[in-house]
Amino acid sequence: MTRLNIALFAAVLATMLYVVRTQYESRRLFVDIEKAAIDVRRLEIDNATLQVEKRAQATPLRIEKLAQERLHMRSATPAVTQYMRYDKDTPAAELAK
Amino acid sequence: MSRAVLYASSPLLASKTPIWRSKFIVASIAIGFAVLAGRAIYIQVINNQFFKKQGELRFVRTLDLPANRGKILDRNGLILASSIVSPSVWAIPEDVEIDNADLVKLAKLLDMPVSELSKKLNDDDKSFVWLKRQVDALSAKKIESLGIKGVYFRNEYKRKYPEGDAAASLMGFANVDGQGLGGIELAFNQALAGHAGSRRVIKDRLGQVVENVGEQLPPTAGRDQQLSIDSKVQFFAYQKLRDAVLENKAKSGSVVVLDVVTGEVLALANYPGSSSGRQEGLNGAQLRNRALTDTFEPGSTMKPFVAALALDKGLVTPETVIQTAPGRLTIGGATISDAHPHGELTVNQVIQKSSNVGIVKIAMQMQSREMWTMFNQLGFGHKPQLAFPGVVGGRLRAYKSWRPIEQATMSYGYGLSCSLFQLAHAYSVFARDGELIPITLTKTNEAAVGVSVISPKNAIAIRHMLHMVTGDGGTAPKAQAVGYSVGGKTGTAHIQEGKGYANKKYRGFFVGMAPIEKPRIVVAVMIDEPSNGKYFGGDVAAPVFSETVQQTLRILGVQPDISVKPQIVTMAVEESF
Repeated sequence: MTRLNIALFAAVLATMLYVVRTQYESRRLFVDIEKAAIDVRRLEIDNATLQVEKRAQATPLRIEKLAQERLHMRSATPAVTQYMRYDKDTPAAELAK
Repeated sequence: MSRAVLYASSPLLASKTPIWRSKFIVASIAIGFAVLAGRAIYIQVINNQFFKKQGELRFVRTLDLPANRGKILDRNGLILASSIVSPSVWAIPEDVEIDNADLVKLAKLLDMPVSELSKKLNDDDKSFVWLKRQVDALSAKKIESLGIKGVYFRNEYKRKYPEGDAAASLMGFANVDGQGLGGIELAFNQALAGHAGSRRVIKDRLGQVVENVGEQLPPTAGRDQQLSIDSKVQFFAYQKLRDAVLENKAKSGSVVVLDVVTGEVLALANYPGSSSGRQEGLNGAQLRNRALTDTFEPGSTMKPFVAALALDKGLVTPETVIQTAPGRLTIGGATISDAHPHGELTVNQVIQKSSNVGIVKIAMQMQSREMWTMFNQLGFGHKPQLAFPGVVGGRLRAYKSWRPIEQATMSYGYGLSCSLFQLAHAYSVFARDGELIPITLTKTNEAAVGVSVISPKNAIAIRHMLHMVTGDGGTAPKAQAVGYSVGGKTGTAHIQEGKGYANKKYRGFFVGMAPIEKPRIVVAVMIDEPSNGKYFGGDVAAPVFSETVQQTLRILGVQPDISVKPQIVTMAVEESF
């Protein structure tokens, strides 16, 4: 009887310790998840900011200014445009003519 | 040395104590434990709310999860407005320790006077004060590196508008709290805003979240809104308009570009406009989208509608000759005159040369009710069905109250008012072979279905007249575009001031479409109070129309319908051996 009690007591002790450890582990993992979530959020924010910045660098106003000033280009007009009919079935060689 | 004590013979033990005493003690202790146990049960099981609450107060925090405001995109998915995170600087005044040198630096970084900053920091009554909301990331970093105690940062969202001034009056703006306060931002606020969420968590002593408590309410992000606007068309329209307003020293100007196949608004530009995001200190005139919110008398641009009605009623044909000599006509004591006397004109020429006398003679053949019905069907006098704040419907009085002279003046656009958008919309009737289509600001890929207002045959006849306006002998040869056939109508109206008309204050218009045989777009241009000598619509507004049409059709990939002299120079390469 005593032996059984001791064994049960040991089992209770072991489970107690295990519960504490599991609790600790779960909190640690939770904190990791939180950190990862914060990282995700930060990256999302960075992504959004960069998207906007990229777009701001590519506005028609800026492109036109750069094209005119740096590359000495001018706006296209129908007078300087060669129009070609695009047809899926037309071979490329035909189009080139 | 020890001394034996005889306990057994102690007189104290010899005395007889009553048995109830010991029982009483035992019972008292037992009751004491029972009370403790009862109290413990009461606290922990029966009435545990109070302590639970106290515990939560110390460890549980409710975190607000703000919802991202949706983006506004153009028809090709390019960003017109987007929220980015921007740090806001706040302080606890009584905790702030700062020396004078740092104060000056901080004020400079925050872009505010030192006096204002020190006033904010010395307000000890407050435990929280915003120093500046939404500073740029670089300044925030510099402020952080100053390491001032008691100054903190909080991330907030800031609206960015990459297109800047070109789309400002269309976009409107959203305030620092993410609420749309004008333009598209207000029109689509509900969808853009989304819903904030929240979560309850336990934080440890380091401030880290260690556990969720209860249910989480995730935030719902605002939906992105894709508009019908093409940012390139918008930019070109804005650019040409700005050039024209500056060149003609005009007060302001507006352009509307409609795709008449789908009924989409491709561009809606105003100059001068506000710059989105810099809305502080601007007045209503700078913030509003004049093409939608301002009304005016449309002047001669109304004439084609009267001609169309006359054709539809069978009163005239395009070739019917009307005597406009001597260039004056008196109705009810008032005299209507032409800028230049013309003599005999066909209906085609009445429109081409914009003869007031000619159009009045046509208009006086019909009943006021017929004219009113036509104008009403075209959308004059009632608000356009367009999701945009502050859209106005202009004024069209009930026909019963029209006097003959009013019927006459209305035929050339005085005595009624409308917005530039309404005018462009009404012109889509000619472009759509007589159908009036609904107009939308959101992207759609389907062809619009309209209701018939005039017969297709007469719509085509009017298009022919509009084409003549831009040809030799018309009022707007400057509206011609390279590669594309165009048609349209000029308008030059006196500006109303008080009860009469201002002397030498004009408004020039041009409303037209291209390519004229099979129109794809309608473009309306208005230049308000040009003061550099020229003021006729054909001189100030038509060139903007021409360039806008040319660029827009090229961007839309519409092939030129009239031959142009190619300027493509091919360079011969020397043959190599």
